[in-house]
Amino acid sequence: MASSLPAAPAAATRHFADDLRQRSDTALAALLRARPDLAAPSPSTLRSLAARASSRTSLERALARTDALTLQVLETVLALEPVFRAPPESQGPREVPERSDHTPPGAGAGGPPPGPLSTEVVSWALGGSAEDRPRVEAAVRLAVEQALLWDAGPGPDVEGGEASAGPGTALVAPVDLRTTPGLDELLGPNPAGLGPHLDPVPEGLTEAVRRSLGSAPGPAETAAALDTLLAGAPPGARTILDALAWGPPVGVVPPAGSRPRDAVNWLVTEHLLVRSDARHVVLPRLVGLALRGGHTHRQPHTRAPGLQGRTVRTATVDAEAASAALELVRRVRVLRQYWDGHPPSVLRAGGLGVRDLRRVAVQLEADERATAFVIEVAALAGLVRDDGDAPPSYVPTVTDWDDLDDATRWARLVEAWLASRRAPWLVGSRDDKGALRAPLSPDLQRPWVPRLRNGVLGVLAAGSAEETVLAPAPGAVVEVLTWHTPRSVPPASAVEGLLAEAEWLGVTGAGALSTPGRALLPVPPDQPQVPGAIAAALRAVLPHEVDEILLQGDLTGIVPGRPTRELARLLERSTDIESRGAATTVRFSPASVTRALDQGETADGLLDELAHRSPVPVPQPLDYLVRDTARRHGAVRVGSASSYLRAADATVLAGLEHDPTLVSLGLVRLAPTVLAASVPAATLHETLRSRGLVSALEGPDGQVLVARRGVTGRAMPAPRSAAAIRMGSASDVATRTPDPEALVAELRAVETAARAGARARADAAEVAHSVTATGGGIPLRGYRVVGSRLNRVSTAEVPPGPTGPPVPPAPTNGAAARGATPGESPAVSPGVDPEDDDPGTQHPADGLALLRDALRDGSTVIVEVAGHTGRLERRELKPLNLDGGRLRALDPDREAELTIAVHRIASVLPTSSTP
Amino acid sequence: MPDGPLIVQSDKTLLLEVDHPSAEQARRSIAPFAELERAPEHVHTYRLTALGLWNARAAGHDAEQVVNTLIEFSRYPVPHALLVDVAETMARYGRLVLSQDPAHGLVLRTTDKAVLAEVLKSRRTAGLVGERLDESTVAVHPSERGHLKQVLVKLGWPAEDLAGYVDGEKHPIELSPVTKPRTPHEKAAAWEMRPYQAQAVDGFWHGGSGVVVLPCGAGKTIVGAGAMAKSGTTTLILVTNTVSARQWRDELVRRTTLTEDEIGEYSGARKEIKPVTIATYQVLTTKRKGVYTHLELLDARDWGLVLYDEVHLLPAPVFRMTADLQARRRLGLTATLVREDGREDEVFSLIGPKRFDAPWKDIESQGYIAPADCVEVRLTLPESERMTYATAELEDKYRLAASASGKKKVVEQLVARHPDDQVLVIGQYLDQLEELAEHLGAPIITGATTNKERQRLFGAFREGEITRLVVSKVANYSVDLPEASVAIQVSGSFGSRQEEAQRLGRIMRPKADGRTAHFYAVVARDTVDQDFAAHRQRFLAEQGYAYRIVDAEDLDESPADSSAP
Repeated sequence: MASSLPAAPAAATRHFADDLRQRSDTALAALLRARPDLAAPSPSTLRSLAARASSRTSLERALARTDALTLQVLETVLALEPVFRAPPESQGPREVPERSDHTPPGAGAGGPPPGPLSTEVVSWALGGSAEDRPRVEAAVRLAVEQALLWDAGPGPDVEGGEASAGPGTALVAPVDLRTTPGLDELLGPNPAGLGPHLDPVPEGLTEAVRRSLGSAPGPAETAAALDTLLAGAPPGARTILDALAWGPPVGVVPPAGSRPRDAVNWLVTEHLLVRSDARHVVLPRLVGLALRGGHTHRQPHTRAPGLQGRTVRTATVDAEAASAALELVRRVRVLRQYWDGHPPSVLRAGGLGVRDLRRVAVQLEADERATAFVIEVAALAGLVRDDGDAPPSYVPTVTDWDDLDDATRWARLVEAWLASRRAPWLVGSRDDKGALRAPLSPDLQRPWVPRLRNGVLGVLAAGSAEETVLAPAPGAVVEVLTWHTPRSVPPASAVEGLLAEAEWLGVTGAGALSTPGRALLPVPPDQPQVPGAIAAALRAVLPHEVDEILLQGDLTGIVPGRPTRELARLLERSTDIESRGAATTVRFSPASVTRALDQGETADGLLDELAHRSPVPVPQPLDYLVRDTARRHGAVRVGSASSYLRAADATVLAGLEHDPTLVSLGLVRLAPTVLAASVPAATLHETLRSRGLVSALEGPDGQVLVARRGVTGRAMPAPRSAAAIRMGSASDVATRTPDPEALVAELRAVETAARAGARARADAAEVAHSVTATGGGIPLRGYRVVGSRLNRVSTAEVPPGPTGPPVPPAPTNGAAARGATPGESPAVSPGVDPEDDDPGTQHPADGLALLRDALRDGSTVIVEVAGHTGRLERRELKPLNLDGGRLRALDPDREAELTIAVHRIASVLPTSSTP
Repeated sequence: MPDGPLIVQSDKTLLLEVDHPSAEQARRSIAPFAELERAPEHVHTYRLTALGLWNARAAGHDAEQVVNTLIEFSRYPVPHALLVDVAETMARYGRLVLSQDPAHGLVLRTTDKAVLAEVLKSRRTAGLVGERLDESTVAVHPSERGHLKQVLVKLGWPAEDLAGYVDGEKHPIELSPVTKPRTPHEKAAAWEMRPYQAQAVDGFWHGGSGVVVLPCGAGKTIVGAGAMAKSGTTTLILVTNTVSARQWRDELVRRTTLTEDEIGEYSGARKEIKPVTIATYQVLTTKRKGVYTHLELLDARDWGLVLYDEVHLLPAPVFRMTADLQARRRLGLTATLVREDGREDEVFSLIGPKRFDAPWKDIESQGYIAPADCVEVRLTLPESERMTYATAELEDKYRLAASASGKKKVVEQLVARHPDDQVLVIGQYLDQLEELAEHLGAPIITGATTNKERQRLFGAFREGEITRLVVSKVANYSVDLPEASVAIQVSGSFGSRQEEAQRLGRIMRPKADGRTAHFYAVVARDTVDQDFAAHRQRFLAEQGYAYRIVDAEDLDESPADSSAP
């Protein structure tokens, strides 16, 4: 049915696909690595890979990671493409590139044949000095590697697919650059502020511009050409052109009768301006380029702006970082201790309530922002989690945390932070519904956080010198990051949030990257990854440990440095800490000494330990305090008993207490006439009755005193990985992405197999189509209806070994494509595009890419649509518009226009695939 | 630097290790800008406060000096945020300057227009300033000079007062080189100001107005006299009570060329206005029908100098009056800038910045004040009293504990240990004191004692005619009893650190034979008395006085004191 239609093949896509196919395995693997979304889920064929690489979503993602220079390169190629490919068209779809054709159809416009759009041309068009050139070249190479640009030239001397592609020769300098299809939509109609390429071109301008982009000294050429053109111009014409030169290229037509209007009219007559509608004029691209002296940009942004900030000494930075790191570790410890005793409940929507947050903040002596971060980072490191009870509460987990030294603890926290996709700085702000965002709640998940964090760390790392480090303001960091990803400028609040986190962690100190923070930067591939390097980096900057305390008569003690772990434990047990920092000031008080005594310490033991650690004798008041407190400690005692026994006659009780048969009652004499028992009153009562002792139950209802179950006695749950904690799904593209090399090998195998078994495939395709058409059920989206079967059939026929017989590339790529007229299509397609009729994975992006191609080329496609009854309907359609999730298309068979919701489209096949 | 004597904490405390070789040097360097908070035996704690930094700024130190000092003496790297904060805080002082403009009179000028805009926008400055003269100058009503300074400190932008002072009415005052005898048989003796006193006078005079901080017994009256001599003008002296007023008068007559006729007393009893007038806070704050009736005193003469004794006790109404006295030179004298009511900033803005400060211990080590031995005697209450105490109402507990009957015996024992010393017994509760006085056979001075009787008894005590004296809190301040070398405190007004300092001060005057002073506090064990005592003890320990705790039962065995004769 397709053969009867003027089915223009998706020429541009096919060309791009050819380029991809000709790339070496290494280059393809590099592409998949650079754009991981292309590999997930795995595309089944290279054709579908190409379709996906030119889909809007994927390109948008790729552009979001593109730096300013690469973006300029892309704009330049996009702007120059029409100039180099074909004579301008005033409307209609762009034509197939005609690089190899030396007599383009539009030769009437005159001028020498356009040379290839090479890297040199791009470099020149961007302007800039000779030293910028290597950077521009690198940017071009990168763009090609990421398949944002592709080489329409004859390509490297590819003898066959992967055979010639050795390692290291991933990319040869591209010869004739093109932008990947679909990029033009994303970069807008006026790339680099240049207007559309329109016909007719003022005389001499094409050559001038082309020459200026070649080797000749350009500005002079274009200036001369312009001067010639403007020779008889009315006054003001040049001013108008200059105003539009650097974009935007659209101007408002001045009111009729005015002098500027005359100039505009003259310019329009001379084709130096074009009326786009009644009120506007537009500056054609070539004129714009000529005005710019053949350049597309004023200057290339070859490097990121220099980082601005205060200079801080490294020693200061490291000291600040060390104290921040110790403080964080301490806060996490306090948090765990506090939640052990007071586990807060989990909000119904997940997360920690505001009041509980404030309570923790009081314990941590920190503000709420810092507290939220401590809680988050502790959860990330698996140190606190919800206990899974109903209703759930947050509790500390059982780990070896308490046995680790400070540096190792810090390393755990910082590693958890590095991998985190959470944005704790949003805590306290309100979401779209006006609800307060809570710490640990699932809606703090932000997939872009790791990338931004790496970006920020990278920027900070750039600011270090020999003895000093730069401490940039958040604004300066944003500025640099903006150069790196101008299409997705990070929100200033997020950068501020990350910088604050880095400061709390001690990754930065006084705003500059610290030495331990440097250990977090990715290790260069040529250096081995040292386990424990992060902890070691912190350990190196921590102040020396001090194991002595100066005790003073005012009941204070001073540790003149960082206390050892044992000393810290002693102080924590027996003192109140008054001041922390480089030194620790503690105060002994009756309450603090009581605390130590509660934990089993004795007065002598405590004093001995203090004397042992103090270089000066224990002051008399302290000695007195400890002993006096110990004297009072335990004067009033509390215990638990389940029941008691009272009698006026002490001898009765004495007899019971020592009765061996009553041991099970756990009788303890509290006073001559009172015994406590560890069994409930009822049991006690019964047992005594059975012994023949008539006892009476006391109290109106035999009330039982039950001791409160100690909260600290709760069984702590085992740690769970951070991802499993109720913090939203930690879906990770990277983890789902298969190994690029393996994927590339698989793709090659499919292709080779497809070539080898072309005929079998054709038959199978018939069968497959008939199966689908006769209603083999509704294929689920992404379900490999045809492809999988085909693959299995085909691979079986391939001779074993990864490198099959090299398949020669289509020798006359361009010609074939050019000649792919409707009539020839069926004959050519099996050889050139063997996978064209193999939809492969029905990824929605593939289908949409085909639709978009068809839209651009005005060709038809075969669309399978889920009908009202749920059955698949197969129709051949000519897409007219694809927007807002709807496809408007023309059905040539029925001569009717119809609109289909995109989600009803099960699959899209190129028309050429139908035999 | 890696082994400096100073540890700078991020909470703005500075820890100074006193045994370090360069500790003295560090102490001198940080003293101008850091307030000594506690000075126990090994590590002294200083604190950086905004007021302290502004004081330093007023004394001509800049932020760079402060920062360099910290870095120079610090053992560990100084927290960066703290350095930034120091610089920022110090930069706030002096952005606003009060000065005299030849055309517009008193004006507030700024070097930073934004600051002026900020303070003028505040509602608190409304009504205190007049017309905006230009972008960086605004007129100030002369009567609001004090209020404005007060408000500006509260806003965090303290103004430097360069508006100068009125000269005041001239009146010749000189320090006399020999003391004038108080009694016919006392001989005139040659004397001169101690070096630190002279320094204090110079510091004050150079600064214009401000506070001199000297420990009790270090001769603040002489600093006052020195300032008066320097000024050579009529002077208004504000003191805490009448006894103190008389002592000031005596001391001035003794050490200056002033005669009794030139010195007037303005108190509840007498209302004399003379070239030098000594008034009590009480009379100034007396209200009749809601009006302060004695305010005219402040304008009675063209005073050239106003002296505030015990400036840390200045009552709030006096602050309000002082606010109107900004054109006159003001000198505040005190042993401590710590105010229990936290109005340190009012002292700063209304009297002036600290102009001189000498640590207690330094002056003691120079032999100008007596060393002291502090002992807390803990008394176990008998069973019956413990029961009464345990069941008593909360508000009665302190009184019950403080006036425990057992204290009588303890005091008796203590007094017996110092047969040759002049002993003061100090307490809060009159019935307890009367009982004690009776028990010891010693005279008693309370609020009810007439001034004449007080003078007589103090005189007799000074002369050594009586060696035991029981006093209530009237003796807390400004009663000069140089020969008292033992003080026994049986009860105090709760936990006031102030009071402790003053009471200790009673016995701190240097002794003729240089012997140690003794300070005993008798407290009832396991009661609120002990808790309050702990608070006061802490103050003593922080001041660097070693103190011991002794059980009352052990008093008999323990030796009185090694230095006692």
